[in-house]
Amino acid sequence: MTTTYVLNRGLMIMLLIICALWLIIPFTMAVLWSLVDPSQPWTPENLLPPAMSFYRWEFAWNNSLLQPALLNSYLLAPSAAALTLLLAMPTAFALGRYQFTGRELAKLLVLLPLVVPAFVTAIFFTSLLYQIGLAQYRFWAILFAHAILFLPFAIRILTVSFEQVRQDHIDAARDMGARPWARFRAAYWPALKPGVLASLLIVFIQSIEEFAIAYIVGQPGFVTIPTLLYSSLGQDFNRPNAAVLSLILAVPNVLLMLLLERFLKSANPALASGKG
Amino acid sequence: MAAISIIDLVMQFDGFTAVDHVSLDVGEGEFVTLLGPSGCGKTTLLNLISGFLQPTSGRIEIGGKDVVGVPPEARDTAICFQSYALFPHLSVQENLIFGLRQKGTPRTQRNARLEEIVGQVDLGAHLDKLPNQLSGGQQQRVALGRALAVRPFVILFDEPLSNLDAKLREQVRIEIRKIQRDFGLTAIYVTHDQAEALAMSDRIFIMNNGRLEQSGAPEEIYYAPRTRFVADFVGSANILDAEITEELSQGRWHVVTPIGPLEIQSKSAPRAKSLPICWRPETAIAGKEGPNALTGTITHRAFQGHFTDLIVDLGGTSQRLQVLRNAEGEGDKVDFSIMPHDLIFLEPDG
Ligand SMILES: Nc1ncnc2c1ncn2[C@@H]1O[C@H](COP(=O)(O)OP(=O)(O)OP(=O)(O)O)[C@@H](O)[C@H]1O
Ligand SMILES: [Mg+2]
Repeated sequence: MTTTYVLNRGLMIMLLIICALWLIIPFTMAVLWSLVDPSQPWTPENLLPPAMSFYRWEFAWNNSLLQPALLNSYLLAPSAAALTLLLAMPTAFALGRYQFTGRELAKLLVLLPLVVPAFVTAIFFTSLLYQIGLAQYRFWAILFAHAILFLPFAIRILTVSFEQVRQDHIDAARDMGARPWARFRAAYWPALKPGVLASLLIVFIQSIEEFAIAYIVGQPGFVTIPTLLYSSLGQDFNRPNAAVLSLILAVPNVLLMLLLERFLKSANPALASGKG
Repeated sequence: MAAISIIDLVMQFDGFTAVDHVSLDVGEGEFVTLLGPSGCGKTTLLNLISGFLQPTSGRIEIGGKDVVGVPPEARDTAICFQSYALFPHLSVQENLIFGLRQKGTPRTQRNARLEEIVGQVDLGAHLDKLPNQLSGGQQQRVALGRALAVRPFVILFDEPLSNLDAKLREQVRIEIRKIQRDFGLTAIYVTHDQAEALAMSDRIFIMNNGRLEQSGAPEEIYYAPRTRFVADFVGSANILDAEITEELSQGRWHVVTPIGPLEIQSKSAPRAKSLPICWRPETAIAGKEGPNALTGTITHRAFQGHFTDLIVDLGGTSQRLQVLRNAEGEGDKVDFSIMPHDLIFLEPDG
């Protein structure tokens, strides 16, 4: 009794420390930095910035490329999420629903691209984009690249989802006279839904955060939030401006992650029907 | 006209024959059972009837129409699945009317049908629950109700009771039979439980290795098994290899067996000179009576309440007896007799 109690407490404390290190401290710092008023610099001897205002936020909104960057990023991400989902569906269906020799190997191979460092993939993938002449249509080139690069996540998630679909539900629906669409709704969709949402959200977040390809293909002129952020890290490095951009990049992602967590939790219990 | 006719049906999976030249007829309103051990092809046959599999050769007629090539959604059959296969995200009510929705039955008619089915399967208190909030027996009734709601021409059961405990199984057995009679449904019921088959069926089809071994009323299967397999699979039987030595008179034969010479009285003549014969344990009579009086040593005795099971060593073979009362214990000698008409000729092996 007591040992598990001590263990639980220890784990709770560790979790809190990790939370603090990873989330609370960086976010608090970012918020504080973004509020630094240019009239007085924030020097190390002060615990809080001596003067605070929304000047940096207003400045970033009015005088940088933030508006087109937001537009580009938030157009790219949902499009990439949707396109990836479409592209992943047939492969995931085959991997999840058909028995064939080498199936397990195929599932593993699908994940392989993820071990190559993103920057390496980006450098060579963009050269491909130039070769096929797609690179001049920047938005479409980046969209295409994102959809292809994040395919492994989507395929893997959806494969598991398709495996969750129970053959007896499909059979029962057919037996009751259900046509393909009704069959999909009754037997497939409840099992697929969490995976589809998870895949959409993960690709969305990956795309929002992706820098390398957006930078190489987009340069110069086509900005996304990450490329804008990285360029603010360049010559005229300005921590308060970077803080504003980081928050704009990270806050929606954290919210989306929490949303994802809720979807995955709420979707599961209904799936397990009592027997069989 | 038969509700279902199966004519010389063959189903092969890459060279493996799961259903081997099966022919059978099921009459309208009849309750028949497909009985056989695991892997004998019962589910495969059911899937052929419901349309989930297409036969390698042969014909299936439902209501006089050839249905080979017709997909399951267009066949007038409904399955009660072993796993129940209830839609987990739909309420009990939505599960029950699922089939009617697919058919586009008008709402008023649907509600009337729902009310009727709910009464039959006794689920009135649970209509708004999800399937995983129900007990196994209740889920089973939803599965039954869902199949009944579409008023199928034929209802198919694939071991529907195997997930229930023994007591509930007996109760649901009676309910299923009652509903089937009330609706006048034609039913095909798959099971590997011989007691279930004997208790429920109008007619039993015994399957073994994809082939139909024997069909008939439960009593006929039990008292006149045709093969060693059927005798052994349905109820328990003492099977002996016999050699016919003499026909004593019309319908009476003299045979030699490992437990000694016996006299058999049978309406059907033996099919060969040496063949297996069998007798049921409960036909043994205590004491020495008639021509087949035997004495053996009890090797095992198990009191079962309404009878006592004895395993008796006789001429190096083990024979099983069921007697109402006995005073002897293990190691004692026991006298018993088998009446000539309780010995049954089986078909020669091979
Ligand atoms: N899709 C298939 N592909 C290959 N072989 C199959 C397939 N379906 C069934 N079989 C084989 O056909 C045989 C009969 O299977 P079936 O499921 O009909 O048995 P069953 O009588 O229903 O058994 P149980 O009582 O265990 O349910 C088995 O040997 C099985 O391995
Ligand atoms: Mg089966």
